[in-house]
Amino acid sequence: MLSRFGAFLRSSIGKKSLMAFTGLLLILFLIAHVAGNLSLYADGTGEQFNAYAAKLEALGPLKLAAELGLVILFGAHIALGMRTYLENREARPVRYKDLAPKGNRTLASMTMPVTGIVILVFLVIHIIDFRLADFSKQGLAALVIERLSHPLGAGIYFISMGFLGVHLWHAFQSLVQTLGFRHPAYLPAVKTAGMVLGVLIAALFATFPVLCLMFKGQWPWN
Amino acid sequence: MSGGHDTHSHGLNLTLHVWRQKNAQDTGHFETYSLHGISEHCSFLEMLDQLNEQLLKEGREPVAFDHDCREGICGSCSLVINGRAHGPDRETATCQLHMRRFHDGETIYIEPFRAKAFPVQRDLVCDRSAFDRIIAAGGFVSASTGSPQDANALPVPKEAADLAMDAAQCIGCGACVAACPNAAAMLFVGAKVSHLALLPQGQPERKKRVLAMVEQMDKEGFGNCGNIYECEAACPKGISVENIARMNREYLGASLTARPQGEAKAGF
Repeated sequence: MLSRFGAFLRSSIGKKSLMAFTGLLLILFLIAHVAGNLSLYADGTGEQFNAYAAKLEALGPLKLAAELGLVILFGAHIALGMRTYLENREARPVRYKDLAPKGNRTLASMTMPVTGIVILVFLVIHIIDFRLADFSKQGLAALVIERLSHPLGAGIYFISMGFLGVHLWHAFQSLVQTLGFRHPAYLPAVKTAGMVLGVLIAALFATFPVLCLMFKGQWPWN
Repeated sequence: MSGGHDTHSHGLNLTLHVWRQKNAQDTGHFETYSLHGISEHCSFLEMLDQLNEQLLKEGREPVAFDHDCREGICGSCSLVINGRAHGPDRETATCQLHMRRFHDGETIYIEPFRAKAFPVQRDLVCDRSAFDRIIAAGGFVSASTGSPQDANALPVPKEAADLAMDAAQCIGCGACVAACPNAAAMLFVGAKVSHLALLPQGQPERKKRVLAMVEQMDKEGFGNCGNIYECEAACPKGISVENIARMNREYLGASLTARPQGEAKAGF
């Protein structure tokens, strides 16, 4: 049983399937993450956002389990991405003078390793900024607004979300293909839905640096 | 003819940068040749024939390249032309590419298909026997010998027949590998797995086949699929990447449900 699972994971299709599956779960995580973040816009004091953060903290061991799950998801997705990237380089030891497009490649599909690495660097910055920081005095909302009101912080977060958007542009239809669900009847819908979903997630995240930089937490609608 | 049809009467003047490599151990390099008066009606391979005649006349070694039927069905010809497997056209093998697709004075880079699993043997010739070993691993069906069976004994749904025929168009040229930024062979293996998995004749070995062929593909050192789909665009037969998705689900299913030999008895 275990050896069969091991053989599957060592195979090219197994690695890609696991990368696709972890990617799908990470997309679901991003949706939940951005939905939670939107509570920052609910008031000018950050009360709702802090309450949301406190609710998550109050989950105790469940929160720890969720965090462990995320570490495993991100870890597996990143490790598989790096491994396949290295294998793919090895699969063509002598490069072409210039491998020109035949017509199906996109900017997003050709840059998955690059956008992935930028997102990884961002992830490390993001965890240091908000997960490992001590915000017991001012509250998480104030810390977020402080970080993102600074042009450097806002710039890093905004640009990173651009890379995330490009990564997600290719991600959804790619995972549908890898997991074997492709069918001409719903392929156009999958492609469109994937692009809309990717751009929407990244754009919603990108509103935080933009609006924090503009309004410093004093939202005009409040 | 007169006036505006200069290329008809004088032909194309071309600068070729051709990959030259003595043998599998040699590192290889580009060599530059000038060709004059090439008819735009000739095929790309006929242009190379003329280059070789010129080289022979000059007492130089001709360029080695693979070719056989020259009508787009054997899968022998290869070549990456200006960075594109089988050149600029869709659903066209190098042998069916015509010089009218190039303009007078053009510079053309000609390289072999490049992949670790397709080692270059000499100049533009690479060894594609990795594909043969993948087929030998499982790309076949068990056939009963003896008297021929009635033609309609095995019902095949129209849809399955059409899809299987589409997959069976694969001529095994390797352009999918050559055009793939990751040098993956998923379109070739996907086409072969799909072709047999769709037909009733392919059912007895269905699970064993996909497991064995994917295992062999990985052993040969091809890259991993990134769903970039350049393979489909480069395929001279227009094989759809839908076949890759079908292979993925065949592989997933077989990995989950195939029983090692002898295990079936244990269930009773």
